Amino acid sequence: MPGRQRSEPSSPPRTRKPAGSGGSVRKRTTPAAKAAPSPTAAAPKAARGLRVRMYRIGFGDFFLLSVPTGGGASHILIDCGVHAKDLGSMRAAVTQMAKDCGNRLALVIMTHRHADHISGFGSCADIFAEIEVERVWMPWFENPDDQKAVAFQASLVAMAGQLGRQFQARLAAKPDPAVEQLLSMAENITGGLGVAGIAANQKALNVLHGGFRNSQPKPDYYKAGDVPTLPAALAAAGLTAEILGPPIDDALIRQMTNKNQQYLAGATEISDQLARLKPFGNAFRGRREDYDDKAFAPYGYDRVKSMLDGAQPDVLAAQAKAADKTLNNQSLVILFSFAGKNLLFAGDAQWGNWENFLYGGAYGTPGHTQLTARARDILGKIDFYKVGHHGSANATPKDAVKAMRIGCVGMCSTQEHAYNEVPRAPLLDALRQRMNDQLARSDQVAAAPDKPANPDAGPLPPAFSTPGQQLFIDYDF
Amino acid sequence: MTYPSRFKCDDVTPRSEATAAQAEMPEDIFSTAEIPFPSERPLNVYAFDPSLGNFVSNQMVTRVRYENLAAGPVGERFAVIDYDGSQKTFYKPVDLDDPRLLMTHGLLPSEADPRFHQQMVYAVASETLQRFEYALGRRVRWRTRLDRSQPPAPRGASRRLNLFPHAMCEANAFYSPDAHGILFGYFTASRTNPGRNLPGQTVFTCLSHDIIVHETTHAIVDGIREHFMEPTNVDVAAFHEAFADLAALFLHFSHKEVLVDTLQKTGGKLFEFKLKGDAELAPGATPAIQSQLGAENPLIALATQFGEAAGRQSCLRSALMTPATPEGAKEIATKIEPHERGSILVAAVFDAYFTVYGRRTFDLFRIFRAGGGNIDKADLPVPLANRLAMEASRTAEEFFTICARALDYCPPVDITFGDFLRALLTAHLDYTPDDPDHIRDALMQAFRLRGIVAENASAFSEEALFWPKVVRGKLEVEDLIFGDPNGLTKAEKDHNGDVLRAFAVEKADKLGFDPKAAKIEAPSFHPMFSTGKDGKLYVSMIVELVQTMRVPFGHGIPGTFPMRNGVTLLIAQDPPEHDKRPNPRVRFVIPKLYHPDREERVRNFYVGSGRATTTPSEHDEDKRFRLDFALLHAGV
Repeated sequence: MPGRQRSEPSSPPRTRKPAGSGGSVRKRTTPAAKAAPSPTAAAPKAARGLRVRMYRIGFGDFFLLSVPTGGGASHILIDCGVHAKDLGSMRAAVTQMAKDCGNRLALVIMTHRHADHISGFGSCADIFAEIEVERVWMPWFENPDDQKAVAFQASLVAMAGQLGRQFQARLAAKPDPAVEQLLSMAENITGGLGVAGIAANQKALNVLHGGFRNSQPKPDYYKAGDVPTLPAALAAAGLTAEILGPPIDDALIRQMTNKNQQYLAGATEISDQLARLKPFGNAFRGRREDYDDKAFAPYGYDRVKSMLDGAQPDVLAAQAKAADKTLNNQSLVILFSFAGKNLLFAGDAQWGNWENFLYGGAYGTPGHTQLTARARDILGKIDFYKVGHHGSANATPKDAVKAMRIGCVGMCSTQEHAYNEVPRAPLLDALRQRMNDQLARSDQVAAAPDKPANPDAGPLPPAFSTPGQQLFIDYDF
Repeated sequence: MTYPSRFKCDDVTPRSEATAAQAEMPEDIFSTAEIPFPSERPLNVYAFDPSLGNFVSNQMVTRVRYENLAAGPVGERFAVIDYDGSQKTFYKPVDLDDPRLLMTHGLLPSEADPRFHQQMVYAVASETLQRFEYALGRRVRWRTRLDRSQPPAPRGASRRLNLFPHAMCEANAFYSPDAHGILFGYFTASRTNPGRNLPGQTVFTCLSHDIIVHETTHAIVDGIREHFMEPTNVDVAAFHEAFADLAALFLHFSHKEVLVDTLQKTGGKLFEFKLKGDAELAPGATPAIQSQLGAENPLIALATQFGEAAGRQSCLRSALMTPATPEGAKEIATKIEPHERGSILVAAVFDAYFTVYGRRTFDLFRIFRAGGGNIDKADLPVPLANRLAMEASRTAEEFFTICARALDYCPPVDITFGDFLRALLTAHLDYTPDDPDHIRDALMQAFRLRGIVAENASAFSEEALFWPKVVRGKLEVEDLIFGDPNGLTKAEKDHNGDVLRAFAVEKADKLGFDPKAAKIEAPSFHPMFSTGKDGKLYVSMIVELVQTMRVPFGHGIPGTFPMRNGVTLLIAQDPPEHDKRPNPRVRFVIPKLYHPDREERVRNFYVGSGRATTTPSEHDEDKRFRLDFALLHAGV
């Protein structure tokens, strides 16, 4: 608890600044408040009762944000998924979460459709079917009425499926840890194939689109700059939210769609091809002897051939990485404000998504090399940061780290050896420095009696607590 | 291979075994029965690519410098090696010296015969190289190793580049320094959306004129500049794409027949996208026969077949169509995909090109109209079209030359679009001080309208955009050897290297280096001999000085990256005065020097583009900091 006390005394002077800018934030949310008819939101005096709970499930995100309201705590679920290094604790965690929220969630947020953020909705569909949900937020890419978005997601999933099959074929031929990671990357997009042959992610998405106990209203689909609609109780309690990402960039999407379709066109033809494409008649077949030896000078025949073979890139691997990044960049980035406390949930946003928010355009182009005043202002007042993409270096640009308020608190849901160099220890060290060591890792707590905490992760910082001794970590404001 | 064959066109080598009758006669040094060597070898190629069919001379004859060719063809600068990496087989190489082929300008264009593909790749690559060497006034060397840290390549590698016309079964074509060559792929056209191709037909990238020029240009630029392939900012990859596209596009304008035809169908407006059909079509009517169909203007389209077959759209068209307004200028801050971003640069240069073309032909149109002509109603008369074609092709030649020469006026590292603008203007000023058609102004305005600005330039005016000129006599390099246009010997090169490295340290403060930060290298120095517009011979040398610091990423990322600072020097050798040869003087210092902001920008860019966290490959730590054209062109 000393950590908490440390942050308390410093809060009164700070409340002044957020109150000023928070005011403008609230102004922007007024239409939302109208949409959800609510009494005028009186800004709560203290953040007591505000709590973030991080469940330990392996490599994935699963967060519950609890907000004190007039009628007791109200709960916001932010992602629920695990992909690689599944600890098998998902079911226990979802059961625990259902208990924590009393089977009532004011708001469910899916940051993006990677398996490690949504698989729980599918695998624990029965538990979610018992939970009442008031609103659901998703990135605009999920809007079924947006034809562009639908086509984009469909081609991305189809491409990931194709890539997955090709990596499986490679693995069958020769085990290779690097290919295993690529396969995992591809399957993170589809969720892998379930029993009925339906991609597991689709099942999870179906739950999110209407598999909860009540018939919740249609999900809200947001992009950067949208004014989100909060459930009435939360708005009344004084919670506000701002959407900082993902940006909307038609040209980029069109181009990605083209690339995916091009890849798909090629891939289907490779898989159903009867024989390898044979471009010329047999009469044209030649031999090495048809060439003068001098033709291969100065390298010599063997070297020329090995140079030629070595020059072929692993396009599939590059495709898989690009697709993974594309999906991460669809992440909803949300800034919650409550009683002068600001909480930033960045999903798995990577450079392209952050870039827009941080620099207001493509980094390095004239006028876009410095943080925008708005980005500096927002980062300079945050009190809590959900570390992006499980602690990967691309997901928290260092300019963002440098602009974060010294002494803010961070939580990082991660698991080692699941994804290339994640979590990146040096990044976490840099964050720790910024956060006065108040950074919790999900693997600092046991998932189950037989799944202990990761000793390399170090002890849980004192600002956090583990009321249940296992399965989750809390941060109380 | 030196230059015994330099004057091949009149080379008359006497036969060794003289006949008995000849021996009796007195020697006559003025007569020989030897057949003179031809200066050119005409070869059939596609002007664009097979998908355009035979419309207006899509088949043309290109003339390349004559040389003896072995089967392949394998010549002095290019070796075409037709090994198919997917089929694991060779294809029969073409022997262009076969008498039957010499009679017919080589094989006729054909998609089914790989030997025509070899011929076309050889012809177009050679033509591209010749144009660059002509514009630059010197020989281009191919890059032989990626880095100074690698073992040197075998002797002679810098002379010849390999071309692999059917390297792989993939919708891709790329220049690969690793393979010391260009790899062309082939693939099946999309079954669902093949464009003009047959669904599922085989498409060969090596039959696209544009693709061959594009890839050859990458290889040429890489040979000229050692560190240009390092994507240190958002513009670098885009610059490479744009530059290669510009070379391919300007080459279109040297195809006389296509040019005349396009001029007639656009009423002289070369920049229009749609051509009128050959047959008349009433307004609003539906075309009934093929010759009524309007076609796309082939001159300003790139690699049509490849684009359509791969279901990929050309970003060039949209860039050329983007209005040059403050709204359109915003694209420079949002488009980061290299092809899209590069198109903005291409559009800017083409805007200037068409503007100058307009200025130069304005009088012709006025004369035409004054005589009662109407360009909207009738086709242009042939004589007018011919005159317009002459202007268009002369202007294109000029623009290509400026672009090629501008390479020499770019800083040695970390190029941006703004640097290229400054290089263009300075190169043009240097070669054509008077500028009657205001080419420089047209370039400047075209760049400004697209939001491309030069950092560090005090104003957007010609004076401010020229690279700063060194005052005569203030900076001189003693004892530099310029040699003659046939090149330097190894000893002369070693000497120049020593002189320049010593110069860099001695004059570090004037040049802007911190000599203590790291060693300063001279990766390249090229003597150049060019004839000015005044008819005088100008002797100069272009020198790169580069300092490489290893800088840690810091902030939680292990490893270091190469932070390069450098200057490009233009050094002039003036003619002797009072029987004394003056010291060579430095005319321009084109800087990209160290600045903490720049270091931060490079670091951020490497982090943002994921290069910082890529695991270095085992034997080459810096490979991750180089552009990979294979992936860039695969569209990943």
